[in-house]
Amino acid sequence: MNSRRCLALLLWLPVAAGAVELQSPGFPPSRMEADGRLVEDWGAVGVRLTGNAVPESGPIRVEAVKLEQLIPAARAVAQRGPVTLTLTAYRAPVWPAGVDVLTVRVEETRGQPAAITLGLDLPAKARIGNRTVALGNRIVVTCPAPQAGEVPLRDWGYCDDATSMPNWGKPIGACDPAFRNIRAALNGGTIRYQFSVPKRSTANVVLGFCESHSTELGIRPLVCHVEGAPPQTVDPIAKWGRHKPGVLQFDARDENRDGKLDITVRTPAGAADRNPILNAIWIYPSATTVKLEDVLAGSLNSAATYYVDVGGPKDQSLFPTDKVEYHLRLPANSARELTFCVACVGSSAPTPSTSAWTPETLYRAALNVWQGVSSVNPESQKQK
Amino acid sequence: MNTIHNCHHCVSRRDCLKVLSLSALGTTLIGSAVKAIAKEAAQTAPGDYIDAALLRPRPDVRVGAAFLELPRPYWLGWPGTTYDLDKHQNEYRALLTKSSRQLGIHTDLAAEPIHDVAGVTAWIKKIQTEKPHGLLVMLQHIHCWPWAESIVKETGIPLIVFAPVGTAFTGHVGRASRVPGVRVLSTLDWSAVEEGLRMVRAKRLFEETRLLWIRRSESNETVLDRLGTKVRAVPRDTFNLAYDKQTVTAEVRDAASDMRRHARRIVEPKPNDLLNSARCFVTAKRLLAEHKANALSMDCLGMVSAKLVPTPPCFAWTMLQDHGVTAGCEADLWGAMSLMLTSYLLDRPGYMNDPVPETAHNTLIASHCTSGTRLAGFDKRPVPYILRNHSESALGVSTQVLWPVNEPVTLVRFTSANELIVDTGKVVINVDTPPAGGCRTSVELRMDNIEDCRDVLGFHQVVTLGNHRRALQGFCELYGIKHIHSPEHSTFGEKAPA
Repeated sequence: MNSRRCLALLLWLPVAAGAVELQSPGFPPSRMEADGRLVEDWGAVGVRLTGNAVPESGPIRVEAVKLEQLIPAARAVAQRGPVTLTLTAYRAPVWPAGVDVLTVRVEETRGQPAAITLGLDLPAKARIGNRTVALGNRIVVTCPAPQAGEVPLRDWGYCDDATSMPNWGKPIGACDPAFRNIRAALNGGTIRYQFSVPKRSTANVVLGFCESHSTELGIRPLVCHVEGAPPQTVDPIAKWGRHKPGVLQFDARDENRDGKLDITVRTPAGAADRNPILNAIWIYPSATTVKLEDVLAGSLNSAATYYVDVGGPKDQSLFPTDKVEYHLRLPANSARELTFCVACVGSSAPTPSTSAWTPETLYRAALNVWQGVSSVNPESQKQK
Repeated sequence: MNTIHNCHHCVSRRDCLKVLSLSALGTTLIGSAVKAIAKEAAQTAPGDYIDAALLRPRPDVRVGAAFLELPRPYWLGWPGTTYDLDKHQNEYRALLTKSSRQLGIHTDLAAEPIHDVAGVTAWIKKIQTEKPHGLLVMLQHIHCWPWAESIVKETGIPLIVFAPVGTAFTGHVGRASRVPGVRVLSTLDWSAVEEGLRMVRAKRLFEETRLLWIRRSESNETVLDRLGTKVRAVPRDTFNLAYDKQTVTAEVRDAASDMRRHARRIVEPKPNDLLNSARCFVTAKRLLAEHKANALSMDCLGMVSAKLVPTPPCFAWTMLQDHGVTAGCEADLWGAMSLMLTSYLLDRPGYMNDPVPETAHNTLIASHCTSGTRLAGFDKRPVPYILRNHSESALGVSTQVLWPVNEPVTLVRFTSANELIVDTGKVVINVDTPPAGGCRTSVELRMDNIEDCRDVLGFHQVVTLGNHRRALQGFCELYGIKHIHSPEHSTFGEKAPA
C-alpha cells in the first residue's frame, strides 16, 4: 500500500454505523451504507426501483456476509411491494486496483407479472455512455447489456464511451461550424452513432473530419464503417492536411434490416495515436445528389435527413433519459439479476468493448485470491 | 508509470498502517491479509531443495470432443462417397489419444459420431453441464458447419474445428474463422490439431499461474483480465532479505558448478560471483514455493542500483527459464506475460529485449543480459553460452547466449491482456560487447515484412526461436486477443505537408 492509498483509506474513517466494508487484500476498502448505497472515492451509486405497486422507498436491511465463507461482501435486502430487491456487493481483485461488483437481483414474489424500472442513482455530473457511466475520463460504472426493449432509445445519437470535445478543431478556411467540435474515443475505443431509418433503406452518408493535433502522416489514421458501404480508411493529415476540413462519402444501406443505420470510426491496429475522432455526420436520401464542397461548407445542412455537429451543443446520446434505467418485465415468481462493475479507490470500471470480465470470472478471481491468502496465512483461516 | 512516490508531506505507509491498526474499525482482516502476502512464510529453509520444474503449474485441462457426420451412407457431396469414414475416424481417434497423453490433457471424445440436430443438442447440453475448458469437433461432412457454429454460440466455450481437406470451402473456413472463440483448422496435418490443443492447455496454464511481482513496497493480489493470471505484488525487499538468508548450501554449490561447467567461456565472473548468482536462483525458487507462485518478475535493476544485492539475477533467471518457469526482468509485468506465452504455448524460453534499430543494416538488435538456453524447447539441448558480468553494473553473472545464426525467430509482446504484437525475423549474427555497448545477449535480427527497422513496434518484446506467427495468431483469435504487427511499409517515407 503506498502513501496515497493510505490517505484515501484514512478518508473513509470512521465507517458509518450500519455500513459494511468491501475489501480485497492490500487495497483500501469501499463501503455499502445502511441505505444500500455503495460509496466510493468518486461518489456513491444507489439502486432505485419504480413501477406499479412498487413503493420507491422502504426499509432495507444491510449486513456483512461472506460469500462461500471466504469473500467479504455486503448484502442489502428490501421488499418493495411485490418485488424483493437484493443487492450484493464484493470487491473483485481485478488488476491493477480492483473493482467493486454490485449484483442487483429483483424477484417477483406475489405470483403476478410485474413491470418495473430499475435505475441507478448517480452523481449529477455523471456522463452516461453505452453501458458505461463516466466522470471526466474515468469510467466509474460498467452496466450489463440490456435485453431487447429494456432500454428506450432516441431516433439518433451516439452510443459509445467517447468524449465530446467542443472547440477542439481549428479548421482553416470557410466550412461548416461542426468542424470545430469532435467526439474522441480514448485508448483504442470506437466512436459509434446510430440513426433510425426505414427498414432496408439506402442513404447517402457524409462524414466530416478535421485533424488539429497530429502533425505527421500515419499517426492517426481512421477506419470508418458505415452500414452497407465498404469501409474507408483515411489519414486526414495525408488526405487534407492539418487543420484542413475534409469529408468522405458512403453509399449506406440498412444491411441487417433492423431499421437502424450504424456508423463507427476507430483507429486501425498499430496506430500510434489510438484515439479516433469525428467532427460531423450528414445523412441524405440516397436519391439526393450532393456536391461534397457544399456539404463541407455547410450549405446543404437543411437538405439532410440528419445533420450532426458531432461533439457540438446539439449532439445527443441515443439514450433519452441520461439515466441508467432498465425497464424490466418480470413474469410471476421469476427473478432477474443484473451485475454492475463499480470503480473503487484508484481504479476504473472495465471498458465493455475490450474487457473479457464476466460475473463468473470476477467472482472466481475474488475466490482465487482469498483462497490464496488463506492458504499462506493461518490467521485468516481462523477468521473464516 | 513506475515512478516512486517521493512526496515527504504525505503520511508514510508505516504511519498510516499504525493509525489503521488503532482504528479498530474492521480493518483487521485487511491487515492480516496484507501481512499474509507480505510475510516471508517460514515454510522453506535455505537448505531445502526445491525442484524448479515442479514450480510450473500443472492444471487440469479438459477438452470435449466429437465427430460430426451426416447419416450414412454418403452419396455425392464432399467429402464424397469414396471417403472411408471409419478408417479416418479411427486414425483421428488414435492421434487424439496420443496428443492428449503427450500434452497431459484429458479429452472426452463422444463415443459415437454425432449425425443429426438432436445429437448436437444433446451434446451441447452435456457440454453445458460438464463445462470443459475447450472443445474439438472433427468435421466429416461439408454440411456439418452450421452445427459447429451453434455449438460455440450455445456453449461459449473456445472451439477448435478440425476440417480435414474435403469438408470445407473458402466460405466455410472464412465465415467460421471470424466467429469469436473459434479456431478453424482446414488441413490434413494433425499437428495443427495438436497445436490447437496446446492453446487450450496454455490458457489453463495462464489461469493456474500466480506471478510474484517483486517491486516497490506494495502487498496485494490481483487477477489479469482475459488471461486469468494472478499477480501477487510483494515488496522489493522481500527478495533481498531472503537472499541475505540464503547461505551457500550444497545445492548452491551444485548450481554454480553447473553454470561453470556448461559455459563455453567465462570472461569476467569470479567463483564467488557464480556462488552469489546460484544463491539468487535458490532464493527465487524458495520465494516462489512459499507463495505458491509459478512465475516472477522483479525490479532487478532498481535493486542493483540501490546495491541491495551483490549480483543481478540474470543467470538465475536463465536457469529458471530453462525449467519452464517464467522469470521476467525489471518488474515489467507485460514483458513477463509475454515470456510466459512462449513458455506455455510454445514450450520454449525466450528473452525480453531492449530493441535497437541498426540503421546501417536495416536490422534490429535485440539486447538483454539474460536469456534461456534451451531455445528449441525445454526438452531439447541447450545452445552455447558465455558467462559475462552484468554489463551496466559490471557486477555478478549474466549470460551471452549464442543464438543460432540464420534461424527464424518470433518477437511477441502483450501491450495489454487484449493485444499482442507479433513479428518474425531471422538471426543475422550475435553481437559482442564490446565493441557494442548495452546488454550481453545481443542478437541482430533481419525482420520479416518490415520495410524499415525503425518501425518495429514495442519494447521488451520477447524473442523466441522459430517462426510461430500462425500459432500465436491462432491463440489470440481463440481467446479474443487482437494481434497486430509492425508496419509493413515504411512510415518514414513521406513528411507531412506544412
